[in-house]
Amino acid sequence: MKLKTSKKIRRGAGHVCLHVFFTGLCFLTLIPVLYAVSVSLNAENSLLGSNFRFIPESFTIKNYLAVFTDYPVMLWFKNSMILAAATLALSLTVGVPAAYVFSRRRFAGRNAILKALILLYSFPSVLSMFAIYKLLGPMGLVDNRLGLILIYAGTMAVFALLNMKGYFDSIPQEIEEAASIDGAGSLQLVSRVVMPLARPSILVTAVMILIYVWNEYLFATTFMTGAENYTLAAGLYSLQATEISGSWPVFAAASLVISFPILLVFFAIQRYMTSGLTAGGVKG
Amino acid sequence: MFRIHFGRLSKRFAAGFLCLTMMVFLLAGCSRQEQEADEGPVTITIWHDKEEEVAAVLQDALNQLAPDIIVKLERKDGLTDSLKMVGNDPNAAPDMYFFAHDKIGVYAEMGILAPITEFLEQDVLDGCIPMTLEAASYKGEVYQLPLYFETLLFMYNRRYMKDEEVPSTTEELYTYMQENTRGGHYGFVEQHSTAYYAAGWLHAFDGYILKEDGEPGLGDEAVLRALEYHKKFVELMPVEGEYATVNTLFREGKAHSTIGGPWLVAAVREAGIDLGIASMPVVEETGKPISPYSGVQGVHVLRVAAEKKHDAVKKVLEALADDSVGTSMARASGCAPARISCYDDPQVAEDDMVMAMYETAQNAEPMPNMPEMDVMWTVAEKLLVDVNMSGKDVRSSAEDAQEQALKLIQQMR
Amino acid sequence: MKKKSKNTLWAYLCSSPSLILILLIIIFPILYTAYISFTNMNVYHWFDFEFVGLKNYRDALFVFDSGFLSALLRTVLWTVVSMILQLVIAFVLASLLNIQNFRGRRIYKTLLMIPWAMPGYVSILLWKTGMFNSQFGLLNQWLEKLGMNPIRFLAGDVSAFICCSVVNLWLALPFMIMIMDGALQAVDRSCYESAVLDGAGWFQRAVYITIPAIRQIIAPSVLITVFTTFKQFDVVYLLTCQSGARTGANIHTILTYAYENAFITNNYGYSSAISILIFVILIGFSLLTGRRKKER
Repeated sequence: MKLKTSKKIRRGAGHVCLHVFFTGLCFLTLIPVLYAVSVSLNAENSLLGSNFRFIPESFTIKNYLAVFTDYPVMLWFKNSMILAAATLALSLTVGVPAAYVFSRRRFAGRNAILKALILLYSFPSVLSMFAIYKLLGPMGLVDNRLGLILIYAGTMAVFALLNMKGYFDSIPQEIEEAASIDGAGSLQLVSRVVMPLARPSILVTAVMILIYVWNEYLFATTFMTGAENYTLAAGLYSLQATEISGSWPVFAAASLVISFPILLVFFAIQRYMTSGLTAGGVKG
Repeated sequence: MFRIHFGRLSKRFAAGFLCLTMMVFLLAGCSRQEQEADEGPVTITIWHDKEEEVAAVLQDALNQLAPDIIVKLERKDGLTDSLKMVGNDPNAAPDMYFFAHDKIGVYAEMGILAPITEFLEQDVLDGCIPMTLEAASYKGEVYQLPLYFETLLFMYNRRYMKDEEVPSTTEELYTYMQENTRGGHYGFVEQHSTAYYAAGWLHAFDGYILKEDGEPGLGDEAVLRALEYHKKFVELMPVEGEYATVNTLFREGKAHSTIGGPWLVAAVREAGIDLGIASMPVVEETGKPISPYSGVQGVHVLRVAAEKKHDAVKKVLEALADDSVGTSMARASGCAPARISCYDDPQVAEDDMVMAMYETAQNAEPMPNMPEMDVMWTVAEKLLVDVNMSGKDVRSSAEDAQEQALKLIQQMR
Repeated sequence: MKKKSKNTLWAYLCSSPSLILILLIIIFPILYTAYISFTNMNVYHWFDFEFVGLKNYRDALFVFDSGFLSALLRTVLWTVVSMILQLVIAFVLASLLNIQNFRGRRIYKTLLMIPWAMPGYVSILLWKTGMFNSQFGLLNQWLEKLGMNPIRFLAGDVSAFICCSVVNLWLALPFMIMIMDGALQAVDRSCYESAVLDGAGWFQRAVYITIPAIRQIIAPSVLITVFTTFKQFDVVYLLTCQSGARTGANIHTILTYAYENAFITNNYGYSSAISILIFVILIGFSLLTGRRKKER
């Protein structure tokens, strides 16, 4: 009895240390972001001098209002959403079966393809854009959302395939064998046994794709014309604090606004991030 | 025994596949893009990268051509790179674009531009200030209808620098800087190590980043002298000379004077600064004022449109050549109109800033519009940084830069 | 035999959508670049370019001078430093976050992901102007309060290299933590229980159980990160040599070096040749390290 309590206390103390550590770490990590928050909320609009504070003396939300009233932010938001959703759907529908097959089946060319896929990442893609333009142009996919979706899904396809394959590899094959003895068909096997087990990997992949699409601006500005077709990142890029347009506080406010949805998503999916394997999906 | 969790994923999986098939169909559908009919109104698409106010003036002026010609203005970031990719693609390229003159050489060599003289009579062009026409010409052809031009201005904060204190020579400026640069204040700041800003100092010594014959001039004695002379000014400025630092210092009243573009004016006035604009100080040694680059903004016609929509393009250009367009665009952008007759307009003639720009432009050098300039920006900037920020020897740095420039220009072909 | 070929067919059928996408968006550009590298496509021959054989490759050798070699070495150093820091820090943090019954991990994890939720150029701009700027950067404001002289963080080669590494770490850690965290979740807890009973400490568990268990899962992400670090462009370019805002530091990586010494010429044939050569160098590197790993 006594032993147990002392252990509990020790663990409690450990957790306090952990909290202190992580609070400090988060603060340290977020200094640049807090800086942006402060700049965007500061009514004095002063960047200079030794008087910077994380909590400004007088607050204003006029920079945030400016983001929403001066720019078609909601339209950009809609465009981002459409692109992100479509890219996610496409990437996962093509990625999951491919990853599963590469993990479970042994077939001619498998190893060669896997090796080649990784090597493809070493190509400096500065010039890719031009080639992709040459490819999509004749198909009428320039200035067309579908073109961007294909580009995004294609860019992330290697990562999606390899990443999910890695996780599939970690799921013991015996589970599937047992299920197939229980009479599950092969499609059932994948959708009802493997998928739940691979949930964290699929989510990680999905988040990765989402963030890529959300933050991508080079293709989005080059392949789309007209401010009404921009995504949030492309719009932000176009109003970036350049010499000519630059309002640093508005820019700071805008960058916080566009990253907010990603954080929400991230927070929301965390509870699903535990693998089926450890959350009681499989019990012997 | 296994207890299997039946997820909802299978349904999602099926839905996903549905999405995919739909997309394939969409893809097939999109590739059969319909060609524009020859009948009815002609649509002219103009790409630009300007502020809304300027675009609005342009749009207003061109709406009068409706219903025969519908002009669509599209803001395009990264316009220059996009044009390289789509320049000759009739489906993706715009018909015209509205931009500074400095890319004319690149696009003319690429063969995507049509000379403006295919549409406008010479006497229309003769109405433009000669400097703007010079800027719009490449290898003997005029490729741009100039609308307005911009150049850097000497700006000062009246709270610190009184009108009578405004230096007329660079030595006076230097004395002012020595007296006033302390305690977080600067007498004068500029983007000392950017090629666009430093070029004005080189020009005052008859030095050039790129000479008229397309040869880099970084190794010339004139450039060496200019760099050497400029250095003592840089020592009294913040080391970091990029726009964020310089503009913020001036906007927040920590710098008494600066050299900046017209785009700075609105933000500075908004910050409550009593802004004065003066002509550039003169370098006593040469008797020439600091002579910055000027940028001439105007419309260019793409070759793909020139053939297909010749008459519509002609009408658009004629509408834009009207004085009233120049005047109101100049006012919207705070720049100086390109047409001489615009200055008869009292509102233009009374505008301090426009007139200061006009004065400065008398000495300004149009940015070179040769393709070679594309590599010169980087090389010149590296030289400026070596001299101003890393404290390297002027002569050897300039010689290195010249050699590098020659090598890069050779690699362009 | 028949079953085997059916198996192969089925496998390719399932993976073909993904492979086709990769073919279009990733492989086609590489092939196209290779094709262009044998032509004289440049400003003067934009549409009427023709084959010039190996001319571009011959010219490219000029770029591979001593400057390029030091850039290459610097890039290797940069990659090694960044990867070691990323892996160690991410592993430690992910392990701490996965301590059982630790409440609040969701909050911490979300907070630690924030750097990732912003577009890269925004973050870099924030660091450059907000943190490192010698006039009003936060770091120098703090130094000033401590009574010290401002430091030009991005001007010296060494300090700029450190700054770039810090920013890169800041940008890349969230992804690494997430991958590590996901992998740790997939490790069967029961393995630990027996190890704890055997009296294994945290370090021993990490070395003998956790790392072997997650190695396979994180391998692809780590490899991909190695390559993206190797060909990192934005961080170094935007922090030190962006046009109009150079800082005076010379810490070129191979890509920024190639950019300033070739890509700005607008000569696509020439630039393509250099891209292909860098590609070959990188493949050479990865084959070399791959073989060494096997030997071990």
